[in-house]
Amino acid sequence: MNPPVLAHALLLAAAGDSHADLVAGDLHEEFLSFCEQRGRRAARRWYALQVLRSIPALLELRIRSGELVRILLAALLGVALPLLLLDRLWSFVYSQIPLKDGLDRDPAFLAANVIVVCICAAVAGSMVRTASRAAVLSLAVMAAAGFALWVSVGSAPAAYSCAVLLAAPASCWFVHRKWRSR
Amino acid sequence: MAKGESLGEFEYLILLAILRLDADAYGMRVRREIAERTTRDVSIGAVYATLDRLEAKGLVSGVLSDPTPQRGGRAKRSFHLTGAGIAAVNRALRESQSMLDGLALPLHGGAQ
Repeated sequence: MNPPVLAHALLLAAAGDSHADLVAGDLHEEFLSFCEQRGRRAARRWYALQVLRSIPALLELRIRSGELVRILLAALLGVALPLLLLDRLWSFVYSQIPLKDGLDRDPAFLAANVIVVCICAAVAGSMVRTASRAAVLSLAVMAAAGFALWVSVGSAPAAYSCAVLLAAPASCWFVHRKWRSR
Repeated sequence: MAKGESLGEFEYLILLAILRLDADAYGMRVRREIAERTTRDVSIGAVYATLDRLEAKGLVSGVLSDPTPQRGGRAKRSFHLTGAGIAAVNRALRESQSMLDGLALPLHGGAQ
């Protein structure tokens, strides 16, 4: 008998590396004894409720350990900063070309942004050890990319914004899975 | 006594649960002990967050054991009180007893 998959995944994502196994093991043990006493359905409900109620405390633990801060910093320095630097670079390039200053960016410049940000996110994804951390990093990468798009001075067409917001976390997660499965 | 050294109510309960469970004090057993004796339905996350805080204060320390099939192949961490932890429990008990001295117990007039 296994606990509900979704609740279990949520638990692993919320708990930091140092506590995920301990908490999951404890809940698994109690889940099995709950199954024997009150049946599988009640045990699954109990498990999901325990996970939901534990999330704030587990996130607090993760913040206290400094793990979330490190992930956020990695996303900001690894994704938001390159995106902002590229934006400034293209602004400078456009300002040097007569009659081009203030015009919408050429799609080639935007494509270069997407490629660079995906590479940076992929490098960050290859460095994390666990799936839990990679999941949180992917979310942080998406938030950092969104922040960079929001504060950038250049125009950001909807297709470009969507490409950055989806491709960056996807490449972070994909590279982590591929890198770690080797 | 510095402010950070005083025990919160839940911290105190967890220290007492560890004392009661002796060598078998790990997250799930601590949670169950508190739930059974106080009828509080505490979450396992809250127990671990508090154990982590107590460990940072030097009041408890944990030992990792081998993984077992009952735990889905995961290890467990058993906790015990350090000397500072025992002193903190004794101090909290003394303070509590000192505050209760002279009061007519149980108190009347509260919600039933």
